[in-house]
Parts: sequence; C-alpha cells; structure tokens
Amino acid sequence: MGRLLAAVLLALLSCLAGAVDYPPVAAGRPLAFPRDFGSHPDFRNEWWYVTGWAKDREGRDYGFQVTFFRHRPGVAEDNASAFAPRQLLFAHVALTDAAGGRLHHDQRAARAGFGLAEAKVGDTGAWIGDWRLERQGETYRARIAARDFALELDFSPTQGPMLQGEGGYSRKGPLPRQASYYYSLPHLAVSGAVAVDGQRRPVSGTAWLDHEWSSEGLAPGAVGWDWVGINLKNGGALMAFRLRDRSGATLWTAGSWRDPHGEVRVFAPGEVAFTPRRRWRSTASGAEYPVAMAVRVPGLALDLEPLVDDQEVDGRRSTRAIYWEGAVRAFRDGQEAGVGYLELTGYWQPLKL
Amino acid sequence: MPSLYLAPEVRRLALASQGWRGLVAVLALALGVALGYGVHRVHSAAVAETEGAARRLAGQADLVVRAVDGGMDEALYPRLATRPEVAAASPALELEAKVPAKADDRRRERLRILGLDIFRASELQPILAALPEPTDVLRPDRLFLNPAAMAWLGVRPGDRVTVQAGVREVALQVAGTVDLPGRPLAVMDIAGAQAAFGSLGRLSRIDLRLREGVGQDQAARDLASLLPVGARIELPTARARQAAEFTRAYRVNLDMLALVALFTGGLLVFSSQALAVVRRRRQLALLRTLGLTRRELVVLLLGEAAVLGVVGGILGVVLGQGLANLLLATTGADLGGAYFRGLNAHAALHLPAAAAFLGLGTLAAVLGSLAPVLEVAKASPARALRAGDEEELFARHRSPWPGLALVALGGAAAALPAVARLPFFGYAAIVLFLLAAITLLPWVAARLLDLADRLPLNGFAPAHLALAQLRAAAGQVSLALAPLVASVAVAAAMAIMVGSFRHSLEDWLDRLLSADIYLRTGTIGDSAFLPADAQARLAALAGVARIEFRRSLNLSLDPERPPVALLARRVDPRAAERTLPLVGDGRQPDPGRIPVWISEAMQDTYGWQPGQVVELPLGNRPLPVQVAGVWRDYVRSGGSIVINRDDYAAASGDAAANEAAVWVGPGAAESRVAGEMTGLFPAGLVVAEFPGDLKRLSLAIFDRTFAATYALEAAAVAVGLAGLSASFAALVLARRREFGVLRHIGMDRRQVAAMLACQGGLLAGVALAVGLVLGGVLSLVLVHVVNRQSFHWSMDILVPWGPLALFAGSVAGLAVLTAAVSGRLAMRREAALAVREDW
Amino acid sequence: MPAAPSPLILRDLAKSYGQRIVLGRIGLELEAGEYVAIMGESGVGKSTLLNLIAGLDRPDAGTIQVDGADLGHLDDDGLARLRRRSLGFVFQAFHLLPYLSVAQNIALPLVLNGHPRPAIDERVDELLAAVGLLRRRDDSPRQLSGGETQRVAIARALAHRPRLLLADEPTGNLDAATGAGVLGLLRESVKEAGAAGILVTHSRAAAETTDRIFHLTGDALIPL
Repeated sequence: MGRLLAAVLLALLSCLAGAVDYPPVAAGRPLAFPRDFGSHPDFRNEWWYVTGWAKDREGRDYGFQVTFFRHRPGVAEDNASAFAPRQLLFAHVALTDAAGGRLHHDQRAARAGFGLAEAKVGDTGAWIGDWRLERQGETYRARIAARDFALELDFSPTQGPMLQGEGGYSRKGPLPRQASYYYSLPHLAVSGAVAVDGQRRPVSGTAWLDHEWSSEGLAPGAVGWDWVGINLKNGGALMAFRLRDRSGATLWTAGSWRDPHGEVRVFAPGEVAFTPRRRWRSTASGAEYPVAMAVRVPGLALDLEPLVDDQEVDGRRSTRAIYWEGAVRAFRDGQEAGVGYLELTGYWQPLKL
Repeated sequence: MPSLYLAPEVRRLALASQGWRGLVAVLALALGVALGYGVHRVHSAAVAETEGAARRLAGQADLVVRAVDGGMDEALYPRLATRPEVAAASPALELEAKVPAKADDRRRERLRILGLDIFRASELQPILAALPEPTDVLRPDRLFLNPAAMAWLGVRPGDRVTVQAGVREVALQVAGTVDLPGRPLAVMDIAGAQAAFGSLGRLSRIDLRLREGVGQDQAARDLASLLPVGARIELPTARARQAAEFTRAYRVNLDMLALVALFTGGLLVFSSQALAVVRRRRQLALLRTLGLTRRELVVLLLGEAAVLGVVGGILGVVLGQGLANLLLATTGADLGGAYFRGLNAHAALHLPAAAAFLGLGTLAAVLGSLAPVLEVAKASPARALRAGDEEELFARHRSPWPGLALVALGGAAAALPAVARLPFFGYAAIVLFLLAAITLLPWVAARLLDLADRLPLNGFAPAHLALAQLRAAAGQVSLALAPLVASVAVAAAMAIMVGSFRHSLEDWLDRLLSADIYLRTGTIGDSAFLPADAQARLAALAGVARIEFRRSLNLSLDPERPPVALLARRVDPRAAERTLPLVGDGRQPDPGRIPVWISEAMQDTYGWQPGQVVELPLGNRPLPVQVAGVWRDYVRSGGSIVINRDDYAAASGDAAANEAAVWVGPGAAESRVAGEMTGLFPAGLVVAEFPGDLKRLSLAIFDRTFAATYALEAAAVAVGLAGLSASFAALVLARRREFGVLRHIGMDRRQVAAMLACQGGLLAGVALAVGLVLGGVLSLVLVHVVNRQSFHWSMDILVPWGPLALFAGSVAGLAVLTAAVSGRLAMRREAALAVREDW
Repeated sequence: MPAAPSPLILRDLAKSYGQRIVLGRIGLELEAGEYVAIMGESGVGKSTLLNLIAGLDRPDAGTIQVDGADLGHLDDDGLARLRRRSLGFVFQAFHLLPYLSVAQNIALPLVLNGHPRPAIDERVDELLAAVGLLRRRDDSPRQLSGGETQRVAIARALAHRPRLLLADEPTGNLDAATGAGVLGLLRESVKEAGAAGILVTHSRAAAETTDRIFHLTGDALIPL
C-alpha cells in the first residue's frame, strides 16, 4: 500500500509542483542515524512501512502492515495560515487474520499541523490523531485504533539498518534521478497485541520496516510492480522488486540480500527474477494475481506461498486501484525458510499514473 | 338507505338545482385550495431545500462548535480534536463573499464560501469525500461551486471568479462542482480562505463527530466548559432549524393568506348552499312530507356540499401543483419575501399535503353548508310548503346579539399573546371578526337598507323598486353578500396594513438616511470590509465635511434562533432619537454603563427592556451593556442591537467598517465626492449610494415583497365578486316572473337595467360599508397583533384613503356591471313571457 | 279637439310558429268603453293574440294599432313605453310584487309614468276605495286572499287609466263566488275608466259579463 499510495499520490499531486524545488536524490550522500530515521520534509515523498507476522497464544497467524506516508505537495508554501497544506500525512494499516481468512484495513489522511498530524524531524515519529508510529529509545511503537481492529505493537530491532542500493541510494529506473533513499530494518522482534472481532490477543512475531524518501515518480512505461521483503529464519533478509511494463515484461529490477553474518549483496538490474507459480483469481474484482511467486536472486531461490489467498485490497476510493498485498511464507527447497510480505500491483488494471 | 341518495330524482333535486352558483362555489374552493396548496408546496420545497442543504453540509456531525460573532480562535480546534470523546473534528471558515461582477445585481446576493480542511471534512461529510482531485482542493485559489452557484455566476470549471476581500479583489479559479443543494455555495481550502479573506487564525465553526457510546448531551455539556466566550456548542440541526425558524413567520403568514382565500371559498359554499336551500324549501319540504327523515335530508344536503368540496379540492390540488411548478420554474422559490432567493427547489406532488388541502376544501364546503342545512331540516314541512315566506327563514338572524358576542370573542383573542412565536390568536381574531360580520350582516344590511330608504329615491322608479326588492329580501341579500364582504374586508385590511407599513417605512428611511452619501462594501457577515487605512484615505478626501464609519456583524445569542445584527455606529446617548427612530422615550444609561439601543424584535424575542443590563459576547469576555432605548428596525426581524462604534471597537478590537455615512461640505458636489471615494478602490469594490436611491430601492423591495400578498388579495376579491355575481344571477333568474310583470307594466330595458344596476350598487354599497369597517378592524389586528408577533415591528396606522376609494369604486363598478350582465338574462323576451307560465 | 283614436285596431293579423299557423288573418276593432270576451279551446292562440297586442311578440303579417300607435313602427323600448301609458294587465296568477305593499303595487304604473307623488297617493286611495281595500293599504300582498289579490291587481291595471285593459283568465285561480265578484269589478272598472277591455277566458259565465263574445278558432274571431 505504501508504495502504491506513494506512486498514485505522486502522480496526482505532481501537477501541483512547479513553484517548488524538491531536493534531488543523489548517490554518495551517506545516511546518518538517528537523523535519517526522522522525516525529510524537503523531499516530496517519504514513508515508514512496517510489515510483519505475528502469532497469538493460540497459534493463530496474523499478517500486519502499518504505513505512514508523508507528502509535500508544494502548494501554499507561502500561505501564512496554520492550515496551509505544506505537508500531508497518510496512514494505511492492514491486518490479515489467517483464521478468519480475512484482510482488514483502514486509512487516514490529514494535513500536518496543530500537533494533530505530524512527521517528526530527527527521529522516527509520525502520527495522525491517535494513530502513531514512533521510535522510543531503540523500540518502535505502533498504536493504531482502526475501524474494526486495533494494533498495539512494539518492534525491537535485532539487527542494524540494511541500507538498500548503494549505501541507501536505491535506483528505481534506468536514469540516475529515478532513485530514492532507502533503508530497511529486518528482523524486528514484535510484541504487543492485536484486537480483532472485539478481542484483544497478545501476539509476538517478526516484522520488517522500510523507510524511503525521494522526489521522483515511477519510471515511465511501468504499469505495476512486484515487491517482496522476507525475514529469513536463519537471520538473513531479502528485499527484491521488479517494475513491469504493459506487456508484463520486466522493466527494472533491484534487490539486496543480507546473510546471517551481516554481509549484504546488492543485485544489479537483471539479477532478480520473479516467476509466477500459482495464480489466484479474485471473485470480487476478477483480477488474477500470481499469489505464489518464485523469487530468484544469485545464490538464493525462494518459493512464496500466501498466508491466505485473498489479501486483495480494494483501494479504489483512495488510490483508485485494486491490488494484492499480503503476508507470505518463503520456502527454500521445500522447507519453510522465512516469512514476509509480497505486494502485487497493476494486475487489476494498469496503474494509470 | 344509501340508494335513496343515488335515486336519480333525489340526485337531480340535490345537485342540478345548484346551477352555476354551484360551479362558482366549486371554482372558489378550487382557487382557495390551489393557492393554499401551491403556496404551501413552494414554501415546503424551499424549506426542504434549505434544510436539506444545511443537513447535508452538517453531514454526520454530532455537535457543532460555532463562533458567536463570526470568528473564534483556531487554537480551539486542536483542543477539541484531541478530546477523548471526539472521534473527528472538522474546522471551517464560513463567509459571505461579495462578487463585484454581481454588484449591479440589486438582489445583493452573496456567494457563501466554506473554507474547509478537506481531509477533516470528508470524515464527516461524504459528499466532500467525492471531490475529484485532492490536488485542486488543496490549492489556495481553487473553488468548488455547487450547481446553484455555477448557474448564478454563469461559470464553468476552469473559469475565474473574482470575489471581494476587504477592499481587495481575490481571483479564484473554479476547479469543479460540489454536489450540495441550496443557495449558491462554494467550497475552498481553509488555508486559502483564511489567507484570502483576512481571517488568519480564525474559524467560524468546528464540526464534531463523537466516539461511539458518547452521549451527545453529556459531551455538549462537557465541551461547552472548554469554550471561550466567543464560541458556543450547538446541535447540527440548529442551523437548519434556524433557517426554518427565520422564515417561519413569513411562511405562516402567506399560508394564512392563502387560507383566507379558502375561507372565502367556504363562505361562497355557505352562501350558495343557503340560497339553494332557501329556493328549494318547498321541494325539500315535499321530500319531508313524502317521508324523508330529518337525518336523511341533512345527509343528502351535506353530501351535496361534500361533493362540491371534493370536486373543488381535486381541481384545486391540480391547479396548485401547476401553480407551484410554474412559480418554481419561473420565479424560483422566492414568493417575494427574499428569504429563498437563489434557491433551486423542486416541488413534487406531495400526497399528504394534497390530501390535507383536499380535506380542508371539503371541510370548508361541509362547514359552509352546515348552518343552512340544519336550519332547513329543522323547519316544519307544512309551513315550508306554503309559498312566499322565504324571508321568514331569516327572521331569527335579525338579532345582533350572536354577532356581537363573536365580536367580543374576537377582541379577546386579539389581546392574547403569541403561541410558539406565531400569532395564532391574531388569526383566530381575524376569523372571529369575519364570522361576526357575517352573522351581523342581515341585521346590518337591514339597517343600511332602511337608511337608504330615507334617501329621496322615490322620484326614480327603478331605484325605488330596487331598494324595495332588496329590503324585502335582506336575509337572502346578506347571504349573497357574505363572500364579498369577507374578501373586501381582507383586501381592505391588507391595503391599510401595507399602506401603514409603507408609510412607516418611508418615514423610517427618511429618519435613518440623513447623510449625503452612503459608502458600502459588503453587509453583515461579508468578506468585504473597509480596513483602517482605507478609512483614513476616505476621511482625508476634499469635500468631506463629516464621515462616520459603521460596522455591522452577526451575533449569535441563542442557538435556537437566527443571529441578531450588531450595528456599531455613532449614537449620542443624550440624544439618541436624533439618529435612531426610537419607540417611546430613550433612557439615559447609568454612569459608566455602555448604552445599547435594541430593536423591537429584541424586546419581543429576548425580553430585554430599557434599563436592563445584558451581556454581549464580544471579544474574549462578555461585555455588560445597558439597554438605553428601543428602536424600530424594519430590516432585521431577527433582532438588532445598536452600539456606539467606539464602545464596540474597544471591546472587540475590531476597527474595520462595512459602511460609511458621508456628509459633504458646502460647495462640494455629492456625485463628485462619491466618485472620488469609489475611485480610491478597484472598480465595484466600494459602492456609493445616495439616500434617494436607497429609499427608492428599499421601497421597490418592499413592494416586491408584498406582490404575492396583492395577488392573493386580488384572488380573494375575485372569488367574492364571482360569488356575488353568481348569487345575483340566481336572484334575477328566480325573479324572472317579476321582471316579466314589470315589462308588462311597461318598464323599458333601460329602466330594468337601471333597477338592476341600482341593486348592484346598493349591494356593493352594503358590502363595502360592512367590508371596509370590518377591514379597518382587521387591519388593526394585522398591524398590532399579527405583524407585531410575527415580525416584531410596530408601525403607525395610515389609512390609504385614495387607493381604498379606488378599490371601493372598482368593487362597486364591478358589482354594477355584474348586475347589469345578470340583468340581460332578465330582459330577454322569454322573461317577459314567463309571466304566463303558470305552475 | 280631434276624436281620440281607437284603443285597438287589428287588421289581417297572422302568426305562425314554424309550420304551425296559430293565427290567420284576424281582424278586430274596439271602441272606447267597449268590453269584449275572447273564448276558445286551449292552444288555439289566445295567449299569442294577447302577446301580440301587448307588443311582447311580433306578428308575421297584419297591423296592430293600440291607442293610435302602430306597434309595427315601435322598437322594444317604444313598445314598453306604450304599455306603460296605454295598457293594463290582469293575470290569472295575479303577479303582485311580493316586496311591495298593496298601495305600492297599485302605485307602480303611476310611478313609472312619472306622476307626482301627491297625485299618486290620491289616485291609489281612490282605487283602493273602489276595490274596497282601503284598510289593506300597507299590507303585504302575501297577507291577502286570492280575491283580494286580484282586486289589487285590477286596481294596478287601471291605475294609470289605460286605454286598453287585457285580462287573461283573471278568475282562473279563484272560486266561483269570488270570481263573480272580481268579474263584476272588472267590468265596472273598464266602463268607468272609459277604456276598452279584452277578457280572455274559457268560462262561458265569465264571458257573459262582457258586451260581446268572440270565439277564436285560429283563422278567425267569430262573434257569438
């Protein structure tokens, strides 16, 4: 969702831009923490994106996703009103209840201001009303009271940040400026509770945080993408994505694999391959998704199986798209090797950006 | 035995004898029902549209925090939004923007602009969530117009609209439509609105949705304690109710006028039924002799009236629906009161209302015929069979006492106060006085005709005969006259009321418009105002002997009522009567007290009295002020308070002005000074007006307001005259033989015509005499009870003798004409031959 | 002073309604003071004849002269003025105006002829005395019996001293004894006034109170 919303909003809002100069994303700017945990309000887009798996005491599996998205529309920046929409914040949360076989999701949008909705500079902290994601000490806290579920989750890093691309400079297309600053925090230890169907259930699990900021849009010609982030059981982590064109062919790929020892392999374009293994057709939208995907990178071959097939999100009201985003298990040679999240967009209709 | 009523002989007896008097009665009922239903439909469409718009704007809000005087500190917004009981809070800045391109539009229409945070608003208002592109919504210069605004401004998406802010122009681009009904309205981003209209830091409203399980009342109480003086919490329906409340008196009054037409229709049925019953006494007595019971006779005759009522009612509903559609299609929902201007309402056939008015029509018909039917049923058949004593039926009605008792009742009703802020007893008094007059009519008619008999008419045979005939049939004559008397009375009453009102208004305008030039930029609640620097530039112009700046704004004192106007201007507390049209004597304020002068409406609706100390929610704390006098305000029926501008500015910190009154120095030409003043600002932003033009404009608006009233009056008089003509024709037809005899004896056409004309004139004379006196009484009720209780303003009674004389002359002329036309029937050769048709 | 013209001259009077010939070539001339009866079957044209004489209907052919005036030369108002001046009517149904008193009913023709008030009062009293109803002067016609009513009607018919009196079945609504009284009064009055009188009746007894009796057959007036 986060990526999709980012892309869509970018497209929608980019026409506003013009008077505003967004800072470019360039290679060679080293990321510094905790400063870069925080917001970068000068850039056009930014998101904090947590996905993960949790289990309650009865052994029920949950997939969850918490995203805070910041956007600088570039309008009314000289407006003296406290309401001037200099920064907008969006949040999207989802919970896949494996036992219930259902995906719950909810979203919020607000302009930053009055302390009611903000994205903090200097360290991670974003909130819209009482939805918040915040770094306190080393721990990230997510507190979300959605329409029909609630998340009360703490994420403790067990590993350091995994810088994507060239030290955090992550290319999203053939041109150098088609890039973002991007780091991930895999293997976050999850503790807390989820509340669904009116019942609060303590849970524990593993999560993955992405933080990415940029000023550029989607590469021209792209109509959708596949993205995956997997926490491997052995302590390793894999992030991979590809952009597809209208014909379904791969337009751009990228990815990185950190092995249990902390060695990171960054893959060059073309080194990442996504191959559908099984497709599932949504009765609601009629779209067909490769919900079981084979991901191949040099040195690692994973087969993905969804937690439940139906993790389709009808986002027509906000992003105008229907897509699939859900918890998946990763199998290596038939053995479960890890869990993570898979995002499949552009299968319902080409993303019209 | 229902078959009895269906037997052709009986049916024929019942209905056929109604003749075209029955037809006129049906038409009169139809007209009354049509006016009532039509006016009702137009108004309910308008109110539904207004309320619907308010409701849709309020969306799912549970509570609304509203600024009392148009602006509150935005710091309240985060305080409320973070309250545990609040699920969502949507801030808004509302303003009435002046559109200079429409400056020539004398309707003084404003564009209502809603500055919203679209993200917050869409949590409460699903309509807004459907706004197309978030992009445009956020741009500070983008407007989304509702269909009414699109139509009014004649713009399409992409066009630009220039509105006035202060004395600057702000160009905004129409980015799309917003599907909100009602008056012209635009939605824009709240940041853009705050910045463009000089309202940084200010909000007009915060809509709140409460968390599930939180009680509305409890939350309202808890949150109210957080609010500063200038803010108040109310239910979201309050505004819609206020809108309905604001127009209620006007609507009810117009409804009542329509009902008067129906009442006249009922009277016509009464008159027609009574005369028909009198005519048919012998036939009816024959039926009784043949074995029809008294009850059966009553049922038969009332059934006949009910048939008239139903036919008239159905016809009326059809006509009324057509009328409503026509009015809405041509003039809109505004029937002259300007309350529903610019509204795009539709009135579908509303079955309950249609049924209600159909029922009213039928009821009027049945009630109208009740008295004569019971009378005839009571009569002994043996006596009724004897010819020639029709008038005996009326002997009983020659006593004035029942009528005088009704007069007393009417007087008592007029003295009672308003119910639910509506003058119901005033209307009751009007009905009682009308009934009294009709009850007294036979007695009065007999006295008047006796009086006429003393006139030296004997030399002129036709007049002599005319009078003799009328005197002999005073009872029947009274019946024929009842509808005309009622309609003349209502028309005269309205004429006197409107005349008095107009005269008082003229006086009032003369008093208020004492300056040479009035500069205006916007009115109450407007986006346009004169900032301090503009005031200084105006005051410095050559030729200005004196300039007085004035500020007007809306002050919401009671969430259940429309806001009152606060008018800040210069008033000398020692001689307030010099600047304000005071009612009664002013009162010196106590030392150290800030004086205010309240309008009569404040006195009536808020109960404030001279000398009383009250608190005004100005600025951040309540401002205690003392009522130093009551003044007459014909503009703001919701109430207004005049305060010295210095006192206002000191309390509120607001030094801006909406208006300036300018006195030019000796030798300076008003038009030149006015031109220089308006020339200081971009064209159309500041308008200069001269007292004469203002007065003309005000009176034109006044006249337009009463146009609907005139139409209803005319309808009532037309119904009355139609009734008279029908009754008269019936009288003539019934007396064909007598005319035959007169022709045998040698009266020529001219003499018969003269005789009939004399009768018409005499009838009109009686109707006018009674109707005008009654009208005078009713006008007192209208002025002192109905108007005062509805609109809270007093006026000086002024009888418009000229127009009334003209009116009386026209009615008399029409009556004479009617008589002459009826007479043509009598003067046919066959009439002369009728003498020989013995039966 | 020239001799007064004949009260009534009928010459070759003819009247049809559509195909139906009602009167064919009727002739009649009456002298002043002459009182005649016209008898005939129902529907034979008696009423038509009276209407023609009264100027309420126009003949197809022939002339009618009343008091020297040729009715064919008069317009409607002229006819009305002629009736006012020269004709008196007595109807079977009396036809008094109910809203006028007895005296006012009698005065009506005088009023219409513009007589001065004192003269009217004098003449009304004279007539009331003649018909024996002085005491009922101010009563309403409703209070009178049938015979009294017809006496008032006769007084009204003669009030303005008409040259010709037309009486159409004046006793049709009265009992025999009362009728005899009325017929006597009628004859006396015609004679005394020096007027001509036509009594239309189908009662032989009534007809015999007149000077001459004609039988109307449709084609002709046959003296009996």
